[in-house]
Amino acid sequence: MSAHLSQDARWRLFETMLLMRRFEESVAKMNVEKHFTGHYHLYIGQEATGAPAISLLGPKDSLSTTHRNHGHVIARGADPGGALAEIMGRATGLSGGRGGTIHLTDASLGFLSTSGVVGGSISLGVGGAFARKHRKDGSIHLALFGDSALEEGVAFESLNIASLWKLPIVFLCENNSADSWDRSRGGYTTLTHAANDLRSIPGALGIPSRRVDGCDVEDVHEAMAEAVEACRAGKGPMFIEAMTRRWAGSAPLWPELSTGVTDLRMATGEAAIEGEHSAWYAQNDPVLKLARELLGEGAGARERIFAIDAQVTARMQAAERFAIDSPMPAPETALQHVFA
Amino acid sequence: MAEPRMLTYREAVLDALFAEMRADPAVMIIGEDVGAAGGVFKQTEGLFAEFGALRVVDTPISEPGAFGMAVGAAMTGMRPVFEVMFGDFMTLCMDQLVNQAAKVRYMSNGRAGVPLVLRTTMGTGANLGPQHSQGFYAWAAHVPGLKVVAPATPQDAHDLMRAAIRDDDPVLFFEDRMLYTARGPVVAGEPQTLGRARVVRQGRDVTIVAIGRMVAFAQAAAEELAREGVEVEIVDPRTIAPLDRRTIIASVKRTHRALVVDGAPLAYGVTGEIASIIAEEAFDWLDAPVSRLGAANVPVPISRSLEPLSRPDASAIAQRVRAMLA
Amino acid sequence: MTAQSVKTPDAPAPAKLLEMHRAMVLIRRFEEAVRVLATAGAVPGLVHLCAGQEATNVGVIAALEPRDAIASHHRGHGHCLARGAPVDGLMAEILGKETGMCGGRSGSMHVIDLERNNLGTNGIVGGGIPLAAGAALSARARGSDAASVCFFGDGALNQGLLHECMNMAAIWKLAVVFVCENNGYGEFTAIDDVTAGPSLLARGEVFGIPSSMVDGMDVRAVHEAARGAVARARAGQGPSFIICNTWRFGGHHVGDKQDYKDDAEARAWRARDPILKSAAQLQDEGHASEADLRAVEHEADALVKRAVEAARAAPEPAPQRLLEHVHG
Repeated sequence: MSAHLSQDARWRLFETMLLMRRFEESVAKMNVEKHFTGHYHLYIGQEATGAPAISLLGPKDSLSTTHRNHGHVIARGADPGGALAEIMGRATGLSGGRGGTIHLTDASLGFLSTSGVVGGSISLGVGGAFARKHRKDGSIHLALFGDSALEEGVAFESLNIASLWKLPIVFLCENNSADSWDRSRGGYTTLTHAANDLRSIPGALGIPSRRVDGCDVEDVHEAMAEAVEACRAGKGPMFIEAMTRRWAGSAPLWPELSTGVTDLRMATGEAAIEGEHSAWYAQNDPVLKLARELLGEGAGARERIFAIDAQVTARMQAAERFAIDSPMPAPETALQHVFA
Repeated sequence: MAEPRMLTYREAVLDALFAEMRADPAVMIIGEDVGAAGGVFKQTEGLFAEFGALRVVDTPISEPGAFGMAVGAAMTGMRPVFEVMFGDFMTLCMDQLVNQAAKVRYMSNGRAGVPLVLRTTMGTGANLGPQHSQGFYAWAAHVPGLKVVAPATPQDAHDLMRAAIRDDDPVLFFEDRMLYTARGPVVAGEPQTLGRARVVRQGRDVTIVAIGRMVAFAQAAAEELAREGVEVEIVDPRTIAPLDRRTIIASVKRTHRALVVDGAPLAYGVTGEIASIIAEEAFDWLDAPVSRLGAANVPVPISRSLEPLSRPDASAIAQRVRAMLA
Repeated sequence: MTAQSVKTPDAPAPAKLLEMHRAMVLIRRFEEAVRVLATAGAVPGLVHLCAGQEATNVGVIAALEPRDAIASHHRGHGHCLARGAPVDGLMAEILGKETGMCGGRSGSMHVIDLERNNLGTNGIVGGGIPLAAGAALSARARGSDAASVCFFGDGALNQGLLHECMNMAAIWKLAVVFVCENNGYGEFTAIDDVTAGPSLLARGEVFGIPSSMVDGMDVRAVHEAARGAVARARAGQGPSFIICNTWRFGGHHVGDKQDYKDDAEARAWRARDPILKSAAQLQDEGHASEADLRAVEHEADALVKRAVEAARAAPEPAPQRLLEHVHG
């Protein structure tokens, strides 16, 4: 194990990732219990990408994200209660119940508007980076998007402009196409690209790129640290492709908590790993993977893991109560905020 | 005449696609997830198995390029039905739609055409929020060269899809997702032509011209008003462009009152066009000003409490009719 | 990126070389006449001339069969003529007259000529790209071996539409040839100011599309590249990307003073006039005498002169035409 990340940093990332996971488990529960309807997307399985990447941003940096955004918003430090309330369309939600899951955002944390249109986070991000460059304060932009966003022409146009104008932006492509279901299993189209290697697209436009294991906090953190530093030094843009496995619950059109509520005892060896998803628990689940690594840090690690879980779980229980108890937006607010 | 079958709206459109693809090898489907996956709403289920990958084409998420290719295919012998998953994503195709497809016939002096259908979904009620709910049919109808259809029933969805495919010009076909599970009798008869309204219900006191899903709300309102002794006539234009002015005007001349109802924003929309036609062509027959109901001028919110407030419903329609008769 | 081996047809016969020369001369004379008319105020709207780019127009289109489709762009008179459009009909169209190919309603930038499988010149940068790719999709669905070509300028290299269509053409192995006529300027802006990346060819290579760069002032080099690409397309081996480096002798449109161009560079390109080169080659090889070449010019002059006279004398479209052909 490399020494890139300090022990403290790894424990902090674990807490963030666990919160992201428990948040998504709450979202799925709220949906099953019909506290909200409509389609939604969960970030489970990609925590080891979003958490370290976002941890490297400073308060002046900006971000843009996609339909699969919950983990990003939580990792950036948004209030889980407000975020859950937003997904449930409540008055106390981060956007007063107007945006919901697809447009989850928190302007106070540097998020630009969250786009539900594939590729939208990339062009918005280039605009964010343009503004950052003109501030001359060393701030940067992080654009988060999925692999299919590179099928949209706007991605290509945006990368060209970012490269030409040397904008301080990190393009973080979360490639979760591996293990997605094929059509015979009732899955939906994933990446449809003639490029064998997505890094060739930024490459064709003169943007340096790296590929990392998106399930490995160390790998992501190191690449992201290098990219952030380059962007702050005026050597942007940079492109990172983080390879993750598609979580089974995100394979069908409607997400389902197919792997259950994450049991950290699977990391400590106190719970058996078996059944249909055993490979996922044993190898792919980034939260369990980091927990196992932390156990190697010696005495007290197990207790610390469960203590963090107890605290995170309590926080999410409070968030659920807050969201459920929150009122729907008042009818008289229906016409607000179309204009300034 | 064939026996009617009970089909959902979604099944009725799909049935029309099967019929037209069997009848004409030039008809093809292009869109995202339309192939073996059968569409995100199962609206193309089974087509891939029967017609194969050359006629049921799954595209990358590249709306401008893929729609532009549909236009090119339409200019060279095919009749594509291009699917835009959510109506809001039509904005991604706007250049190819407005600057290419709509203008080819005129620019070529009538020697070339673009026989294609752009089908898309819209509608509020599923909490899909600001970027997955809108119906831009008023925008489309504003563009010379485009035809625009918004069917309200399974039978009309079936007939108008067949008519749209057989039409030699670009036709935009707007399907309200909230109608997808609505069930009704469908007779697979002769294809209709576009541009004919339907009198849904006859009545002597007031004409309601309702678009798409608003027809069902108007029917519910009419039932309620009938119990109060008010006889409502409902006209469903079915085709927004070209618009069947004659049927609308004839109805208003009988009832002397008109309410126009739309699920899209009132401002600068279809209701304004229809109301002004009524005012211009039936002014002397009117006993009250033409009235309009439409969605509020807001993006569609995700909130369960706000979303229904954003557009008219049966009680709003009934209430407005009472006010008009008061 | 190496193309899979498809037998390239034999070198063109002398008659073909002379035919390509004749087509280039006609385009040059036609464009000169349009320039004069436009300067005199006889042409409605903006007009974009392709003088200097004749070799890219002709070299590619000479590789096509009548069943193949092309899509052109705003600088497209040469494509129309090379594809066989009537000289008088095109001239009348550019002047907006009743006798024009499109009844005078389209002008220079929107000539659609489906009789010759020309999907049209286009007023939107990159607008023709998906149309040609769509024609290839149509050919595939119909079981036809027709190929299609989209022409676009260097400005369109930065349109996302190109990227999308290249991706789809590569995935579906469509019989389409992407031809970039790189004249160094998108409107008034130099290509390097707006086009990132180490190599323009990489934009095709990303998708695994065989990509090549040719001298766009050499009709034979262009033709050779195009024939190979069309042969691959017909053989079901998918798209190709050809960048033809060329130069527009005039400005972006008639009236553009071109202050942004370097004089020495412009002179150097002028010296590489594709028509002079072709004429010299034909003479050196004994395929044409000076008199033959002069006859070609006279023939072109006569065709263009007649077209100009007819177009000037032709009536404006009748008022009742305004509302025709919005729908079928």
